[in-house]
Amino acid sequence: MTFLSIVSRGLMRRPVRTGLTMIGIAIGIAAVVALVGMSRGFQTSWTNGLKTRGTDIVVSNMGSALTPKPFAATQADKIKSLPHVAAICTLMVDLISVEKADMMIVSARQWGGFSWGNLKIVSGRLPKDEKEKAVVLGQTAADVLKKKVGDTLQLETDELQVVGIVDGGAIVENGSVILSLSLYQEITGNDGKINVIDLRMTPGTTKEEAAELTERINSLVPEAKAVSAGDNIRNSQGYRIINAMSWGTSLLAVLVGVLGVMNTMLMTVFERRQEICILLAVGWRRGRVVRMILWESALLGFLGGIGGVVLGVIGVKILITAPAIKGLLEPDLNAVLLAQAVVISVVVGVISGLYPGWRSSRLMPSQALHG
Amino acid sequence: MATTNAGDECVFEAIALKKEYDDGQVQALRGVDLRIHTGEFVAIVGQSGSGKSTLLQMLGALDHPSSGQLLYRGKSLEESSDLAAYRAREIGFIFQAFHLLPTFTALENVQIPMFETSRPVAERKTRAMELLKAVGLEKRVHHFPSKLSGGERQRVAIARSLANGASVLLADEPTGNLDSENAGYIMDLIVNLHREHNVTLVMVTHDMGIAHRATRVIAMRDGHIVSDGAGVPSAVS
Ligand SMILES: Nc1ncnc2c1ncn2[C@@H]1O[C@H](COP(=O)(O)OP(=O)(O)O)[C@@H](O)[C@H]1O
Ligand SMILES: [Mg+2]
Repeated sequence: MTFLSIVSRGLMRRPVRTGLTMIGIAIGIAAVVALVGMSRGFQTSWTNGLKTRGTDIVVSNMGSALTPKPFAATQADKIKSLPHVAAICTLMVDLISVEKADMMIVSARQWGGFSWGNLKIVSGRLPKDEKEKAVVLGQTAADVLKKKVGDTLQLETDELQVVGIVDGGAIVENGSVILSLSLYQEITGNDGKINVIDLRMTPGTTKEEAAELTERINSLVPEAKAVSAGDNIRNSQGYRIINAMSWGTSLLAVLVGVLGVMNTMLMTVFERRQEICILLAVGWRRGRVVRMILWESALLGFLGGIGGVVLGVIGVKILITAPAIKGLLEPDLNAVLLAQAVVISVVVGVISGLYPGWRSSRLMPSQALHG
Repeated sequence: MATTNAGDECVFEAIALKKEYDDGQVQALRGVDLRIHTGEFVAIVGQSGSGKSTLLQMLGALDHPSSGQLLYRGKSLEESSDLAAYRAREIGFIFQAFHLLPTFTALENVQIPMFETSRPVAERKTRAMELLKAVGLEKRVHHFPSKLSGGERQRVAIARSLANGASVLLADEPTGNLDSENAGYIMDLIVNLHREHNVTLVMVTHDMGIAHRATRVIAMRDGHIVSDGAGVPSAVS
């Protein structure tokens, strides 16, 4: 019989309570996995979207909202001829409700800009010119909106023709309604306004030169901020709030799990007072008794953590099929996050066992063994 | 070697040993002076509440005395830095209520004290098996305590007390919860350990019949030793 079998026997003596405690911690951990995985997924999806558009630097004003603030399109002219700039493409990116979909990415792109370049036509065609009252839909967007080539799409108050379905190569691209910038400006009455400039650098630009370029842009266009494509979303305050909230919310759920584990371990120590006294009486060191309690609660945390990861992953897989989320993001359930979640759970277990362990170590062997 | 003669070495020496409970409201031991030598079989008798169990618990370091001195083989137990090792290796404790761990089988219960030794896991099991065989329980090793009779439980407890080769056995009314047939068997088992392995035996009992098998009978009342029949020969041949 090994120490671990003693530890697991301790948990097995009350299978229902152990199970319920594990479910408690598992729910907390599942919340971590789901919320953090989703918010990270939002980030990576966005970044991947930029990458497939061939964007190296994004100029936008990521305020506290999820979509950037508009500014004058003329600002783009200041940037165009800076050194190391290969091409720019101005955009208006919005997150609005379109017909039955509550949240849809609308990506209006400068006619002829490079950001059209990555779109592979699945069916139909691209708009004929920038004035044609037409949109193309990413595959997922078409799916969510239930549209095919030839249908009409109501955007704000205008009826536009769906002329093509495209594969944008990234989840955000595929979840977008894509149309010409000037058409969208007209529809929304935002003449001369943009909120994103995609910038492609000349090949062979060094990191230092890129940094210098972003600095120049920032001084030329104070109402927006230039960041490298990878950093773009991470720097947005909106994203930061989402990220903080998902950690905050899920850690709150974990805290509830902590209380559950602590309660269970305390009860265990109380009801096993006599057994702990027996262990001490036959010569177990206090340290070994404390270790037994800590291992028990760590094991409880570990098993709860594994359960939570499974629960979280399944939950996310179900969640992303929901129409409201579909096409907006791809959850980022990487191995590191899942391992982090299990580690959190084990740490939670150990911490919850500290006080009960300390309690058990203060018992005198005679205390429960009189007679 | 069947001897009931006390050796010369002093196993326990208590000097003015006192134990109070509840902040002095209960005085369980009121100054006990006592010497117990290697190989002795000491019976402690006395009315309920006279302090017999308390004295035994002091000897087994299951609790701290309130004052006075207690030496084990010449060394103060209070000053010992490692009472756990003392409990694990030197002493075997046998309780009236058996005090087995309910979630472990007989075989596992006997292995519990061996966690404080460097004995390899496989060897622990073999040794526990041998010990259970020695108390006649080889057929019940995988039973949980709840599936064993009182007599069988006490036999497991005896095997456990010997797990790490204790040289001193402390038994607190070991047959108090047993019927006379089982009690006889358990007594024989314990007395044989004392005789055949020269184990020093201190036993609390209220059964004068049992007490007469001892080499020495100590009577207690109100936390004092009121008579000590040291040197009184055993009634058993
Ligand atoms: N843990 C304790 N707390 C308070 N009083 C105790 C405790 N243990 C024993 N006593 C008291 O100490 C006295 C001696 O008890 P004990 O040693 O168990 O006597 P015996 O074994 O001779 O029956 C009794 O009055 C008992 O009530
Ligand atoms: Mg007693």
